[in-house]
Amino acid sequence: MNYFVKGNPDLCIGCRTCMIGCVVVHEGKHIFEVDPDSYNFNPRLHMVKTAKISVPVQCKHCENPACMAACPVQAIYQEDHRVLINTDKCIGCKACATACPFGAIDIVSLAGTRQADGSERKVANKCDLCNNIAGGPACVRVCPTQALSLVTEEDLGGAMEKKRMEAARNAYMEIHPQNGG
Amino acid sequence: MKKELGSFVIGDSTKCTGCKACEMACFTVHNQGSNHVGKTVGTVTVPVVPRLFLTKFEYGCMPIQCKHCENAPCLNACTKGAISRIDNQVIVDPEKCIGCKDCMQACPFGAVTLLPYAKDGKVVAQIGSNETRVFASKCDLCKDVPGGPACVRACPHEALRLVDPEAEREEKNIKAAEALLLTKNWR
Repeated sequence: MNYFVKGNPDLCIGCRTCMIGCVVVHEGKHIFEVDPDSYNFNPRLHMVKTAKISVPVQCKHCENPACMAACPVQAIYQEDHRVLINTDKCIGCKACATACPFGAIDIVSLAGTRQADGSERKVANKCDLCNNIAGGPACVRVCPTQALSLVTEEDLGGAMEKKRMEAARNAYMEIHPQNGG
Repeated sequence: MKKELGSFVIGDSTKCTGCKACEMACFTVHNQGSNHVGKTVGTVTVPVVPRLFLTKFEYGCMPIQCKHCENAPCLNACTKGAISRIDNQVIVDPEKCIGCKDCMQACPFGAVTLLPYAKDGKVVAQIGSNETRVFASKCDLCKDVPGGPACVRACPHEALRLVDPEAEREEKNIKAAEALLLTKNWR
């Protein structure tokens, strides 16, 4: 199963530290020392703030990824419990962004690369669960209210098992109330 | 930061009946000016060439048109510089196109096809031959057409829609965020 990062709207205060953390690990710490206009600020998760809720939304690393199915050039693939984009292959056709029901994919400028006519080259950008980054997803680590967590197969499987046992226990108690505490 | 992505039109095969009204509307609006195409068939003196292509496949039909890619293979493949990004859309200059077919091969959607080029109400001949000059025909999102993409407006079944990728992503983000309220106690 692919892993994913999940935000808890009860804990999130909408401070956007996760977005900064995301850009810092993907761009490098040098962004603090250079002109802010000289690099692309492209967080891979989006803070949503409405009257009802504040929480970041990011890729769910689906098991049958709609983005992967929509990609005409096979630039999206699954590896090491995650869905990844090969930006070298990406043609920026936006088919993945259209296919994703969560709005988890952005099409962003890639610093330093241009198209043949000199216009900006833009490619798909989304959460890669901090692939090859020591310590795992930066958003989880930097959140000051611990509103984000990485969900693994074990976590989800364990939670399901626990809920099923609870459901079975409740069903049993209905038939055998005398055994209840 | 404004992302400034190219908009595009997509078809819905669950609604499309294959009537080709989109293709006709596309041809009409692109040939009203220099080719004097009017409201009746009698005014048509040039080949009917659309910029989107009604496509029949195993499970139905739908028009296929350009996605205005942000790292456009057609644009990058065009050696002649006949394809460029203008106001975020990928636009072909038919005057510059030499019909080399590279863009056709580069596009993974089949959204560009070489079709006869007409001007001033008649087809243009090649220089040095009597054959008809062709150009890479593809969607330009009706950039000079008041009211926006004619295909979207012409479809009797609302099977075509104009996508603003940024706005659509934000809308989906909000829905995804609100859905988190339902799963927050998943443990």
